[in-house]
Amino acid sequence: MLTLALDTATPRASCALVRDGELLGERESRAVAVLVAAEELLAENGLVPGDLDRIVCGTGPGSFTGIRIGLATARTLALALDLSLAGVSTLAALAAGAPGALPVIDGSRKEVFTLAEGDPVVMRPEELVLEPGMLCVGDGAVRYRALLERAGAEVPSDASELHVVRARFHVALAAGFGPAERVEPLYLRVPDAEKALGS
Amino acid sequence: MILAIETSCDETAAALLDGSGRLCANVVSSQAELHARFGGVVPEVASRRHLELIVPVLRAALEEAQTTLDEVDLVAVTQGPGLIGALLVGIAAAKAIAWSRRLPLVPVDHLLGHVAALYLDPPALEPPFLCLLASGGHTLLLEVREHASLRLLGTTLDDAAGEAFDKGARLLGLGYPGGAAIDRRAREGDASAYAFPVARVGGFDFSFSGLKTALLYEVRGLSPGELASRRADLAASYQHAIVRALVEQTLRAAKEIGAGQIAVAGGVGANSELRSVLEGAALVPLELCTDNAAMIASAARFLEPLQPSGYLGLDAYASRQLA
Ligand SMILES: [Zn+2]
Repeated sequence: MLTLALDTATPRASCALVRDGELLGERESRAVAVLVAAEELLAENGLVPGDLDRIVCGTGPGSFTGIRIGLATARTLALALDLSLAGVSTLAALAAGAPGALPVIDGSRKEVFTLAEGDPVVMRPEELVLEPGMLCVGDGAVRYRALLERAGAEVPSDASELHVVRARFHVALAAGFGPAERVEPLYLRVPDAEKALGS
Repeated sequence: MILAIETSCDETAAALLDGSGRLCANVVSSQAELHARFGGVVPEVASRRHLELIVPVLRAALEEAQTTLDEVDLVAVTQGPGLIGALLVGIAAAKAIAWSRRLPLVPVDHLLGHVAALYLDPPALEPPFLCLLASGGHTLLLEVREHASLRLLGTTLDDAAGEAFDKGARLLGLGYPGGAAIDRRAREGDASAYAFPVARVGGFDFSFSGLKTALLYEVRGLSPGELASRRADLAASYQHAIVRALVEQTLRAAKEIGAGQIAVAGGVGANSELRSVLEGAALVPLELCTDNAAMIASAARFLEPLQPSGYLGLDAYASRQLA
C-alpha cells in the first residue's frame, strides 16, 4: 500500500511517501511547490504517480490559501488517479510529532490555532490555558514564545524539529478513506466579509 | 483533447476542446449569487467556493463531453491576472491532473484567454485585428498581430468599464452584477435624457471615474420617487456614455494602426448596445464573453506546453503582465 501525504497549511509545507507503514521519504517545500517534492520522492524510489494507492491531506487549520492548495491538489489527484482520500487535521499531525505537547499554529491577525479539550479552536495567544511546564510546539508557539514562557509554558528552541508539521504523521493518523469531496477544509474562521455582514 | 481550468475570479470553470477545435464541454459554475449580497466579489469567499466546486466542475465537464481523462493529452490553466487565492485553486488542480497522468501543461494569461475566445468557431477570427477587451477588471485596446501576441495600445486610467457598470448599478439600486442589470433597464429608457460626460484622455486610454461621479450627483438630487421614475432613463444615458467612450477610442485606434478588423471580447462585450453599435466587428458569442475555460483551452493551442519540471512549481500572478 503506497500512500502519498501532503500538508500545505503552514509556510513549511510537507510531503511524505509511505509504503505499508515504512517511510520512503519526506520533503519540505513551499505550498505551491508541493508536487515538486512529491515528484522527487517518487523518482528517488523509482516510482510514478500511477503507483500510488491512497492520498492523505492535511486539512488545516493554517493559511487559508495553503489549505486550499493542499486540498485542491489532493482532491484532484484522487479524481485523476481514481484513489481514495483521507484528511487529517494539521493540529493533530503536529501534536503527533511531539507527544504530550500542545500544538500552536500561527493564525496571523494576532491569533493562534490550537486544541482545546481535543477540539481545534482559534483564539488569541493570551487566552491559551497553560499549565506550568507545559510544552508548546508549532510556528505559533515560536512566534509567541515570550508570552507563552511568561505564562509558564516551555517552547523548544526555534530550530527544533518539533515545531514543524511533518506529513509522515498524517499517514499514521489517517482513517476513513473515501471519495475526494468528502475531505473538508478546517478554516476555523469565517471570511471577514461574512463577519462584517453578520454584525 | 485539451482540458482547461479557469478560476481567476468568481467563476469556477472547466472545458474540453478536441483536436479539431470543437468545444466538447464548457462548464461554468458562477458564484454571482453568492457575492451579490456583498455587492462585489469577495476574494476569500470566492476562493473557498472554488475549492468546493473544482472537482464537481471537472466531473461535470468530463460528463458533458462524454469522455474520460484518458482522452486528455494537454492541460491548460489560467495563471493570472486575477485573485491569487482563487487562481491557486485552479493551478493546484491543473498541476495535479497533469502530473499524475504524465501530461504537459500550458499556463495561460487570462487576458489572452478572452482574446482567444475569438479563435473559437464562431467567429473563428484570424489575426491581425484590433481588439477591445472590456470586463469587470480590465479595459484594454490590443493590437493582435499573431494568435498569442498582444500589443497594448491603451487601458483605463481608473475604473474598468465593467466596474463602471457595477458602480452605476449600485447607485441606481439595480443590483449585482451591474452590466446585465443596466443593459436590461436601459432598454426601457431614453439614452438622450441625460448628457453624461465622456472623458477624453490622451492616447488610446479610457477614464470612467468622472462619469460615475456625474451619475452620483444626478441620483443625489432625486427623491426616491423621482429616482424610480427616472431609473430607466438614467441607466440608458449612463450606458450610452460608457459605450460611446469605448467605441470612440476603438475607432480612433483602428484608424491610427490601419486595422482592417475590429473585435470585441470580455464580459462587457455582452452589452447589447455595444454589440449593435460596433457594426462589422467580430463578436465573441454571448456565453463566452464572461469568464470561462473554453477561451483558456483556445489560447492553449497557440502556446508552448511545459513539461513537469517546468510546471510543478508554477505560481499565480495577480496583475497584468502585458506591457
Ligand atoms: Zn475575465
